[in-house]
Amino acid sequence: MNNKYKILLVEDDENIRIMVRAMLESAGYQVIETQSCDAAITLACSHIPDLIILDLGLPDMDGMTLLENVRETDLTPIIILSARTDETEKVRAFDLGANDYVTKPFSAAEFLARVRSVLRFSRHGADAGRLSQGKYQVQDLTIEYDSRRVFVGDTEVKLTQTEFNILAFLSEYSGKVMTYPAIIKAIWGYSTEGGVKRLQVNMANIRKKLGIQPGKNNYIVNELGVGYRMNTDER
Amino acid sequence: MKAFSFRFRDAVLFTVILTLCFPISVLMQSVFRIPEQVTTTFAFAVFLISLVTDGYFWGLAAALISVILVNYAFTFPYFELNFQIPSNFFSAVVMSVIAVLTSALTTKVKRQELLKAETEKEKMRANLLRAISHDLRTPLTTIYGSSSVLRENGASLTEQQKDNMLRGIQEDARWLVSMVENLLSITRIESGNVELIKTPTALDELIDSALLKFRKHNPRRDVILELPEELVLIPVDPLLMVQVLVNLLENAVQHGHGLTKIILRVRIQENQAIFEVQDDGCGIAPERLPHIFTGQYIPNEQSADTLKRNAGIGLSVCATIIRAHGGTITAENLPQGGALFRFRLNTEESTDEQ
Repeated sequence: MNNKYKILLVEDDENIRIMVRAMLESAGYQVIETQSCDAAITLACSHIPDLIILDLGLPDMDGMTLLENVRETDLTPIIILSARTDETEKVRAFDLGANDYVTKPFSAAEFLARVRSVLRFSRHGADAGRLSQGKYQVQDLTIEYDSRRVFVGDTEVKLTQTEFNILAFLSEYSGKVMTYPAIIKAIWGYSTEGGVKRLQVNMANIRKKLGIQPGKNNYIVNELGVGYRMNTDER
Repeated sequence: MKAFSFRFRDAVLFTVILTLCFPISVLMQSVFRIPEQVTTTFAFAVFLISLVTDGYFWGLAAALISVILVNYAFTFPYFELNFQIPSNFFSAVVMSVIAVLTSALTTKVKRQELLKAETEKEKMRANLLRAISHDLRTPLTTIYGSSSVLRENGASLTEQQKDNMLRGIQEDARWLVSMVENLLSITRIESGNVELIKTPTALDELIDSALLKFRKHNPRRDVILELPEELVLIPVDPLLMVQVLVNLLENAVQHGHGLTKIILRVRIQENQAIFEVQDDGCGIAPERLPHIFTGQYIPNEQSADTLKRNAGIGLSVCATIIRAHGGTITAENLPQGGALFRFRLNTEESTDEQ
């Protein structure tokens, strides 16, 4: 009976707490809730939740500090809930190790999709996100890591080495937004001035080769001004 | 940095004007033989300098130098400073007064201009606030009223009624969300008088984000895309630009009655990106066309209730954002019916941006 995912909800606004709790419980998750960072730290230690949902504006401590504290000791996935929409805030949260960032207000469908996606990522995350048989699959896109080949449906797509590396890197961290600097560092090993532009050019080529149409939401999500996120099967 | 360059400009003007006075005065004295006009020339120079420079400093400095120059070089006794002669003393006083008065006057005018711009901005903000608070009331009524009915009399309502009310709540809440996003965009521009943070943004990523956001609220609307083949990077604030595109698309859906298709077209012409949002709806009422971007609230008391979504805040936000990017936006009706909104942005950043 108790193999439900356990989610720790840290939010000080009562109405939002009730609502998020209802969303999560209706989707079959077990929810522990608290209003303060202090209590959250204790609960995180005693209950070992599978996921923490964290509001940034808490009364006793900034959510970012809690995020940092948790990341010092473990890799429990964390979704940030925030009314702040600045790219700089987002980048900071991702750099501190947040798995996803949901801006208020949000719909139940959108929120639950993010939760599923993050939980899915953390399940496979143990070995750097690679799925069994050295393959990654999302919708009709397949990435074969060992042979370094990419397929859309049954047709193989010819990518350059760099393009493949970017795609593989994003897929390893699927469900998580990777910031521009993180990708550049992983692919080229250093950051140069034109790094972001080089990345944008490569991404444009990847999109073209994979036949991605703007607005169709497949495979890769653009977080404008922040980075890219590879979709998981569940949206 | 700015203060310094301004002072540098003032110093240049100061030097140029005074230097010009010198040969003119020499000409007057030795060629035209009208030495008494030398003082007038310098008085005029003092006036000019006071007029074109900032503050009192340059004007007074010009007055002082002019007095000394005129006294030393152009009045009897030549090449000797002499304030004993009343006319010399008199010219010194006159020049100082000219400098002080002119400087005071220009400073005042400049201040007034600033104040006027400030009031204009304040007025715009007040207009916007009035329009918004008016616009907020209607959806809030639905949300507040429906939710209280559902809680208090929920048992006596049919499932159909409940569902209708809940849908109303959801729709109006969603509308409030878009309103808040627009307000945020405006504060983003107005907060910090710093310039926008523009980052080179890939056009197709921008369109992608805008369409996803648009589709979230209008899942069945299809938008026909006509985009350039090659990769285009445009220096913009990406979130604000997404807001512009979403506003224009939603405006077409909300106001283009009878619309069957929306086209989003982007062309590159020299170093400008031209965005067009075209629909085949009912077009824009001609009387609205002239101030469609000013967010001017059309006072029409009788129809206050039907005005619900008419304040056009979305479009004025678009205009604000585009102008803040140094672009232009226009709206027109098409001969074959429907409306066309077009805005242009520079694709190349001025060189001082890093």
